Amino acid sequence: MGQGSSKIEVTKADKAILQLKISKDELHRYTKRTETLIFNEREKLKRMLREDTKNGTKSPRARILLKKIHYQNHLLEQAADQLINLENLVATVEFKLVEKQFMVGLQQGKDVLTRLNKEFKGAEDLMDSVADQIAYQEEIDQVLSSSLIGGFEEELDRELQDLDEEVNGSKEEAPVKLPDVPTEHPIASPELPSTEHLPELASVENQPQEKPQREAQFA
Amino acid sequence: MTDSLPPIYNFPPLYTCQPNVLIRKQQLATWCDLLLNYAKDNKAWCLNHEGSILRDSESSNASIFKNETIQRVAPAPFIDQIWKEMVRGQKAVKNSDEAYFILWRSLEQWSSLVLQWFETSGKLNQVVTLYELLEGDESLGWEFHGMHQTLCELCLQKLCDRGRATLLKEQNKIMGVKVL
Repeated sequence: MGQGSSKIEVTKADKAILQLKISKDELHRYTKRTETLIFNEREKLKRMLREDTKNGTKSPRARILLKKIHYQNHLLEQAADQLINLENLVATVEFKLVEKQFMVGLQQGKDVLTRLNKEFKGAEDLMDSVADQIAYQEEIDQVLSSSLIGGFEEELDRELQDLDEEVNGSKEEAPVKLPDVPTEHPIASPELPSTEHLPELASVENQPQEKPQREAQFA
Repeated sequence: MTDSLPPIYNFPPLYTCQPNVLIRKQQLATWCDLLLNYAKDNKAWCLNHEGSILRDSESSNASIFKNETIQRVAPAPFIDQIWKEMVRGQKAVKNSDEAYFILWRSLEQWSSLVLQWFETSGKLNQVVTLYELLEGDESLGWEFHGMHQTLCELCLQKLCDRGRATLLKEQNKIMGVKVL
C-alpha cells in the first residue's frame, strides 16, 4: 500500500456513479420521510377516531386523512420501486466496471502472449540453422574420422610388421649387400703423400696402416 | 439521559469552579469524562456550547451542565473552561456556530473503523456517498452509523492523508468517497 504518494484517480465512471448514488440517497431519504409521515398521520387518524367515537367514521376530515395516507403509501411504493431500480443500475454499473477490469486483464495477457510469441518467431530460422550446423559438424566429424582411420591403419600395419620382423627375424634372409667383386685390374694406387720428411716413427706407423687397406681391397 | 452517568455527576461541588489548581485540574478531567460518557450513551455526536445535544438542527433543552436532581448549574465561564480543556485534550472538535463534536473515539480510531467497514463490506475501490456510509442500510449496526456528516468528513480526511481515500465533490460539497 503506497502510503501517501499514490493518488487515487477519479474516473468519469466514478462521477457518474456518484450522481446515481446521490439520487439514490435522495430517494432513500424520501422513503424514510414518507414512512414517518404515514406513521404520524395514522396515529393522528387513530386519535381522531378515539376522540369522536360516534361520528368519527363519518367526518370528512377522517376520510381525507385516510385518503392522504393511501396516497402517501402509493408514493412510497413508487419510490421504493425506483429505489430498487436505481440500486440495480448501480450494481450493474459496478459489475460492468469489474468486467472492464477483466477485459483489460485479458487484453494485457494477450499482449504479453503475442510479444512472447513474436520472440519465438526467429525460432524456426534458428532451428534450421542449428540443424544445418549440426549436419555440417557431422560431416566434418566423418571426414576427420575417416581420414584419421585410413592413415592410422597404414601406420599400424607398418609398425606391426616392424615389430614382427624384430621378434621373429625376417622370414627370408635378406642378402647382405656386398660390393661386387672388381673385375678390372686395380688402378695404380693413388699417389700417397711422401713420407720422406717425416720422422721414423711416423713411417713405421704408416706402413701397417697401408697393409690392411690393400688386403681389404684384395679380399 | 443522564441516568447512566457515574455518581460523581450528582456531587454539588463539581458545579463550582474550584479555586485550587490541582483540584480544578481533576475537576476538569472529571467533566471531560462525563461529557464523553454522556455523548457516547446518547449517541450524541454534537453538543452545543450550553451542553445540549444537537440533532438535525434541533436542540433539546436538557443540558449536561444543568443537573435537575441536585438543582445545580455550571456557570458559563466555567463551561468555557471545560470546553477549552476538551478541545485541548482532543476529546472534542469545534464545529462552526458554537457547537462541538464529542470524540469518544479519536478521529484516527473512527477513520480506522470506517476503513474496516469498507474492507469488510467489499466497498473498496467503489464510490460511496457519505449518506450511504452514515445513513445507509449497509452500515447499520456499525458504531459510526448516524455520525454527523462534518465529523465524518474529518475522519475521511485522515484516510486521505494516509493515501487510502479520495473525496468526491459535487457542487462544492463533499458527497462521496472512494477508498482503496
